[in-house]
Amino acid sequence: MPPSPSRSRTWPTVFLFLAPAIALLLLIYGYPIARSLGLSLMTQNLGTQLEPQFSGLGNYGRMVGDGRFWHTLGNTAVFTIAAVTIELVLGLAIALLLHRKFWGRGLVRTIAILPWALPTAVMAVGWAWIFNDQYGVVNDLLQRLHLISGPINWLGDPALAMVSLIVADVWKTTPFVSVLLLAGLQSIPDDLYEAHAIDGATPWQSFWAITLPLLMPQLAIAVLFRFAQSFGVFDLVQVMTGGGPAGSTETVSLYIYATVMRYLDFGYGAALTVVTFLLLVATVAIAIALLGRRGLRQL
Amino acid sequence: MTSPPPSPALRSPLPSPPPRRSPAIAFTLAIALLVIFCLAPVLWQLITSIKVNADIETIPNIYWPSRQTLSHYAELFVRRPFFNYLFNSGFVAIASTALCLAIGTPAAYSLARQPIPGRSLILGLILIVTLFPYILLFLGLLELARAFGLGNNYLALIVPYTAINLPLTILVMRSFFQQLPRDLEDAAQMDGYSTGQMLLNILLPLTLPALVTTGILTFIFSWNEFLFALTFMTEESLKTIPVATAQLSGASQFETPYGPLAAATVVGTIPLVMLVLFFQRKIVQGLTAGAVKG
Amino acid sequence: MHDLINRWISRLFNRGPGRSRSRPLFALAGALVGMAAAIAVTGLWHLGATAQPSDAPVELTMLLHVPEAQQWRTIADRFEAENPDLRLKIIEGPSATNAIEDLHTAAFILGDSPYDLIYLDVAWVPKFAAAGWLMDLRDRLTPAQLAEYLPGDVAGGRYRDGLYRLPFRTDMGMLYYRKDLLAAAGLEPPETFMELIAASEQLQRSQGVDWGYLWQGKQYEGLSAMFAEVLAGFGGFWVDPETQAVGLDEPAAIAAVEFLQRTIASGISPPGTTTYTEPETLRLFRTGNSVFLRNWPYVWNEVNRPDSPIRGQVAIAPMVHAPGERSGACQGGWGLGINRATRHPEAAWRALEFFGRADVQKQFVLENSYVSSLRSLADDPDIQAAYPQYRTWVEILDNYAVLRPPVPQYAQASDILQRYLTAAFSGSMTPTDAMAAAARETRSLLGTA
Repeated sequence: MPPSPSRSRTWPTVFLFLAPAIALLLLIYGYPIARSLGLSLMTQNLGTQLEPQFSGLGNYGRMVGDGRFWHTLGNTAVFTIAAVTIELVLGLAIALLLHRKFWGRGLVRTIAILPWALPTAVMAVGWAWIFNDQYGVVNDLLQRLHLISGPINWLGDPALAMVSLIVADVWKTTPFVSVLLLAGLQSIPDDLYEAHAIDGATPWQSFWAITLPLLMPQLAIAVLFRFAQSFGVFDLVQVMTGGGPAGSTETVSLYIYATVMRYLDFGYGAALTVVTFLLLVATVAIAIALLGRRGLRQL
Repeated sequence: MTSPPPSPALRSPLPSPPPRRSPAIAFTLAIALLVIFCLAPVLWQLITSIKVNADIETIPNIYWPSRQTLSHYAELFVRRPFFNYLFNSGFVAIASTALCLAIGTPAAYSLARQPIPGRSLILGLILIVTLFPYILLFLGLLELARAFGLGNNYLALIVPYTAINLPLTILVMRSFFQQLPRDLEDAAQMDGYSTGQMLLNILLPLTLPALVTTGILTFIFSWNEFLFALTFMTEESLKTIPVATAQLSGASQFETPYGPLAAATVVGTIPLVMLVLFFQRKIVQGLTAGAVKG
Repeated sequence: MHDLINRWISRLFNRGPGRSRSRPLFALAGALVGMAAAIAVTGLWHLGATAQPSDAPVELTMLLHVPEAQQWRTIADRFEAENPDLRLKIIEGPSATNAIEDLHTAAFILGDSPYDLIYLDVAWVPKFAAAGWLMDLRDRLTPAQLAEYLPGDVAGGRYRDGLYRLPFRTDMGMLYYRKDLLAAAGLEPPETFMELIAASEQLQRSQGVDWGYLWQGKQYEGLSAMFAEVLAGFGGFWVDPETQAVGLDEPAAIAAVEFLQRTIASGISPPGTTTYTEPETLRLFRTGNSVFLRNWPYVWNEVNRPDSPIRGQVAIAPMVHAPGERSGACQGGWGLGINRATRHPEAAWRALEFFGRADVQKQFVLENSYVSSLRSLADDPDIQAAYPQYRTWVEILDNYAVLRPPVPQYAQASDILQRYLTAAFSGSMTPTDAMAAAARETRSLLGTA
């Protein structure tokens, strides 16, 4: 009888194979979180000549009364919910489109992947140009179509700036969502649709009865990942609007960045980081609880 | 950019459902809209990059410029060390990809085949970690970079990028290893191969497609990364493309350099466009490794 | 064993029409290896090239925002010519000064600033000094030498008894106006805010001028600078440096905000004003369709270039003020500091001495319409010939200078003000509420809540 594979796996081998990866992950992921936790209990800023002074929960107390923090949290929530919802709907629509066979499908799929692959920061520069109030294409097209009479100041108006950001984000990440959902669509057996059609159902009814329920795992995964990514969005906002106007597009990540890199307020920045982390963990935990154990196994 | 974890087995997709009865015109229109939607911003940057300055700032916009110029591209490479930027991005991306595959593949094998206490916990943590926004790591890594004197050092980027792409690499490669039949490894054991030799000489060539897939995804991520590149590379000649493009500034008091900015966008995205064109299928495979149910 | 492998390999690589699939993979592998080799070679060469031989000229590095980087070329070349053992490398940075400040901060925080000379805006000195990034220069100059500079500029380089910045050039905000347009309508240059509004409206109505008053309203440092002047013009204050009291919620400050808001609402200023920085307002002014512009001295040369449509038609005056109050001219100004961790402290000091010399400063001023921090140049005949209004500039500074709060947390205080100002301008908050919130947050920041 051939020897069972496990007998010859020695501990040194396991260690050699696994340790570097675990060590690196602990260093890059574990240390920053732990350090932020510790630093959040200190005051270390220009007021203390950059020396750390223990202040307990002082930073957290300050956060409660910090209008800018709540404002950025609100902006992040608006951005995340709007962007993820649109991307999900649009992504599903695109996935349904690409699900059929047609001439040039491979090319279209390639084109659909392109926005996702391009650097966000670089395209953000392009989007700022597209939404430019004087020379931007959006204003030009809208005016040519006689939908507006004068140029709209997209990036200068608080509400419209958020809209512009969401448009840019939808453009970038809808392909990602549609690719995920497409794979899910492709794994649904045809016979289900055939059986349903024989029973006299319309395609619309099949969609609701078969497609959506069977697509739930992929939808859940897409929502989870897109939510986490949108929550931490940095590149797009920093380059396209810088958080303006009037901080109306400033997200939590921008606030943390400015607190550390501009105000040199390390203690408070650490506290902001910890709270963001906890919020994210809480949301993910809720999501996983909603998914249920059955959904988790499918992951 | 991270992607979800793979399921235990990958399967080729099933044929699409029978064509529905919706009008062909609506469908073609939808596809056309999709193509335009995806390509328009990129094409507009391309057009802007070859327009002369006077045409760029014309209202209403010119969509088909009658006069073209390559001066914006020339300006990129003359007034700015754009070759440096390209080199920096390429070097960091390739180095972190290589390192990630080198560290991640053995770890993936270990998690696939070897009994490890707490394996589910480790896998679960690796999964959770893919959800972290990088801003959470920013403060701690800044301290590390300062402590180790890694400011303006390629390692300050290579090491974090490697770590950030490890989860994806581990999970994809692990699922791939699980697919391989055990008799191959048993036979290797009987022939006296050590685990390491077996991995290197036998299994690795078989997993080349998966390596290429994760390699491409890691490359794309590393090229596009912005936050750490912005923070850790402050010296002009060491900047990567996304940071350099975002910080491009004007020649005179007057204008934001829309032309060179557009040119920088084009140059900075060409390698990725090439990657996508040639490896579209691999990229899709990598992204969907988790979505297809086994 | 081997045939097992062969079977698998053939199965993997020879799957039907996918046989050609293996070639791209091998091509990619080959390309990667080749690239890696090329990169390794280039990388090693790059690393080797940065090591300087000991007898090579000492290279000093400095970061300048792009417009000024080009203006420095001539005096930088002169520096190198007169000091053959020194080289000055000027790195061009973004044109927005916020961005330059952030670049410096980022480099210093990392502990790896590559710059030896730091070109400092007056508003940055407290922050950089408090953080310990700058070399203290107080022992390098005698009081007599310091007295050669404008006192406001010297004060701008101090922080808690130390001297961290040697003034180079000074800056003050002022009002530019089209004297031809005013003359044609029989108007005198305005002195008060109301006169400015009235003149603008009249000229827009009668002469068909597009815009009356151009100012910078984008959310950036320039907004704080511009606002400090209007605030002073209404008799208000931002932060009292002695008592750290905050004056943003006082009636004067609210009146200042309401004035600016009114210029946009009544059409005197373009709606895009809230996205304008200096270059945009200058560009608009230069097209000839506007009457008034608030900006800095550098504009003078720009509007009097041979190809400028308004060449010779522009005059300057102190910023307008409320009746009974004084004009305000925001004191800007730049100077040179030395990175405390520089490897060439003596060479850096020689550079500071060089650029502080009267003849070098004179050359710089003659080439670009800036105002030197050296008192003596105001009396220089060549400068008076080139810029008849130079004396006016210095007088404006002497009489009406307004400093922004010299506190280490200035960056954050300025951000707070900018945010609430833009909220008020966009209408999302009333001026009273916005200023009350700004005052509250500033007090909390300074610990005087």
